[in-house]
Amino acid sequence: MTSTSSPSRKALSKIACNRLQKELVEWQVSPPAGFKHKVTDNLQRWVVEVVGAPGTLYASETYQLQVDFPEHYPMEAPQVIFLHPAPLHPHIYSNGHICLDILYDSWSPAMTVSSVCISILSMLSSSTVKQRPADNDRYVKNCRNGRSPKETRWWFHDDKV
Amino acid sequence: MRSEDDTHDANDLDYIDDDFVDNESDDEDGYYDFLDNDESDDRQQQNYIILSEADIQHHQEEDINRVSTILSLPRAAACSLLRHYNWIVSRVTDEWFADEENTRRVVGLLEKKPIEMPNSPELTCGICFEDYPRDRMNSTACGHPFCSVCWRAYIGTSIRDGPGWALSLRCPDPSCGVAVGQDMVNLLATDEDKEKYSRYLLRSYVEDNKKIKWCPGRGCDYAVEFVLGSGSYDVCCNCSYGFCWNCTEEAHRPVDCSTVAKWMLKNSSESANMNWISANSKPCPKCERPIEKDHGCMHMTCTPPCKFEFCWLCLGAWSDHGESTGGFYACNRYEAAKQEGTYDESENRREMAKKSLERYTHYYERWATNESSRQKALVDLHSMQTEKLEKLSDIQSLPALQLKFTTEAWLQIVECRRVLKWTYAYGFYLPEHERAKRQFFEYLQGEAESGLELLHQCAEKELQVYLDEESPSKHFDDFLTKLANLTSVTRNYFENLVRALETGLKDVEAIDQQATCSRASSSKTMDGKGRGSGPSDSMDDTNHWLCDLCTYANLKSSNICQMCQQRRS
Ligand SMILES: [Zn+2]
Ligand SMILES: [Zn+2]
Ligand SMILES: [Zn+2]
Ligand SMILES: [Zn+2]
Ligand SMILES: [Zn+2]
Ligand SMILES: [Zn+2]
Ligand SMILES: [Zn+2]
Ligand SMILES: [Zn+2]
Repeated sequence: MTSTSSPSRKALSKIACNRLQKELVEWQVSPPAGFKHKVTDNLQRWVVEVVGAPGTLYASETYQLQVDFPEHYPMEAPQVIFLHPAPLHPHIYSNGHICLDILYDSWSPAMTVSSVCISILSMLSSSTVKQRPADNDRYVKNCRNGRSPKETRWWFHDDKV
Repeated sequence: MRSEDDTHDANDLDYIDDDFVDNESDDEDGYYDFLDNDESDDRQQQNYIILSEADIQHHQEEDINRVSTILSLPRAAACSLLRHYNWIVSRVTDEWFADEENTRRVVGLLEKKPIEMPNSPELTCGICFEDYPRDRMNSTACGHPFCSVCWRAYIGTSIRDGPGWALSLRCPDPSCGVAVGQDMVNLLATDEDKEKYSRYLLRSYVEDNKKIKWCPGRGCDYAVEFVLGSGSYDVCCNCSYGFCWNCTEEAHRPVDCSTVAKWMLKNSSESANMNWISANSKPCPKCERPIEKDHGCMHMTCTPPCKFEFCWLCLGAWSDHGESTGGFYACNRYEAAKQEGTYDESENRREMAKKSLERYTHYYERWATNESSRQKALVDLHSMQTEKLEKLSDIQSLPALQLKFTTEAWLQIVECRRVLKWTYAYGFYLPEHERAKRQFFEYLQGEAESGLELLHQCAEKELQVYLDEESPSKHFDDFLTKLANLTSVTRNYFENLVRALETGLKDVEAIDQQATCSRASSSKTMDGKGRGSGPSDSMDDTNHWLCDLCTYANLKSSNICQMCQQRRS
């Protein structure tokens, strides 16, 4: 059901490789709390395990994030989605797409996988209700042809949740 | 307004006009009027300024300097502020003096002095995480260091994402938000990106500015600044393209923008039904051979032996259109076919749908034909200016300057075809129940059609005769005078027509209330000389006098013709 086959992607540029190598080393030295990187030999796709923070709606639940890097990372944002099953959250669609501005318009090349993970966890932690976005069915239907969340024109839900 | 009487009262000033005015000219209105009228009198004061790229740059630089001086800020900061507040200088200064702290935050300008980068010999770039000597790193006023390779890529990416991104670029540090201005771009970007950035900046000065718009003319680089709150929106660019500054459609006086929008929408929804109209070929109504329309005026003549003369628009005999029928040119008028017999419900509905399409077709065809006629006239104007004028000057051995009436005639034809075209959209939306208004409108429109037809024919077919001659013709002077006269009269007529339609034909509202009363016709005007004659049998002629020169039906209350300023005889 979840599309693990990402759209055909160009190989990482040299700059992107260097930068990811450094991020990987940094991650191994001090991983962000609550995350575990399942190391493979594929530098261009990371799969990261998230454990819901204690005292939140998602406490001790485990989810998996898939992070795909574009050729010109970090000038371009990585594509980050939840693998099936995605957490029930008002900003997370059932196909794993995440409505979070830093993954799209507000991405900055000074951000890292680690800082993105921390933002996603804080988004989960601050949720007060376990439910899908109101437009879930419509959105997921529109994505059926394998559209990347980066091709969506996001209207960001307000930041209060 | 010019008055003939003035010349008598001002005899001592006559010498000024010696070159143009002799004593006989008092009786002859058009020609000499036309000579000294040229441009000055009638034209409304121009309420727009055409800006070349250099002008735009100049204005922009002036505004930046002003803000920079008033607020004592560097150029790049003034630039960011202006762009954020849509290039309105007063808005920038108002916001700034009302709440400097907030304004700085919104635009991304640090308070006080720039912060230096950390003081160590080696620094880590915040993007590639590589270490570099301090002197190879750069930062904006916030001191967040990035290497030049990353800066170049960062700026380049924003430029590829478009002006909205590039012109509001901030420091890459996610917690920062300090603006990255043109100074940084010029310092760090590739030459190509610097060039693109400055184009974005120039474009922003026009596109984010409520008072300036690009000319929509094809390939045109001019922009037009409009003085808001003044008169008509029609502007004419230096590239000769005329457009409505408000809606940027092609110029459309006397019709307003919303009517144009409605009409264009209607056209696109009916376009499938209207395909057949665009064809430039129709069968001759008499012999049924196909006739190509290869000229601008509507007067068609079938090829020999038929030689039938007919009207392109209504396919009626041309003899029904001209002076011989009393000058009333009725093929602009839409008359729904009489309903015969009785219909059942569904038949009736079908009939109504058919009628409404017929009605639309009537207006659309005339709208579209005037447009293609205008296009043709533009081509003719061009060929007049580029080749025919010279040829004519050779054949008739006259200096080209004396032939300026020919180009002026063509310019006038182009403008009149444009106005006439839009009067058909006007007519389409004129309510059926305002009968007197409709009748008056159709009368004015018919006169406009026939007047323009005379001018168009004169500039097109009659002029051709003199182009085909081998040696100077003694009639050529007379021809020029006729052409100039026709141009002048037509110009006046159309200017007044535009004004009358723009004010919604107010004069007629009074008539509308009386229209059902007496229909007495005035014999005085009915047997008037020349083209002048009754507008139509349903007009209430007791309230009107018909102008000798242009046949306009004027209200009795005025003694000067509303259309051409001719005195009532
Ligand atoms: Zn959201
Ligand atoms: Zn760098
Ligand atoms: Zn910064
Ligand atoms: Zn132009
Ligand atoms: Zn308009
Ligand atoms: Zn024929
Ligand atoms: Zn006709
Ligand atoms: Zn008149």
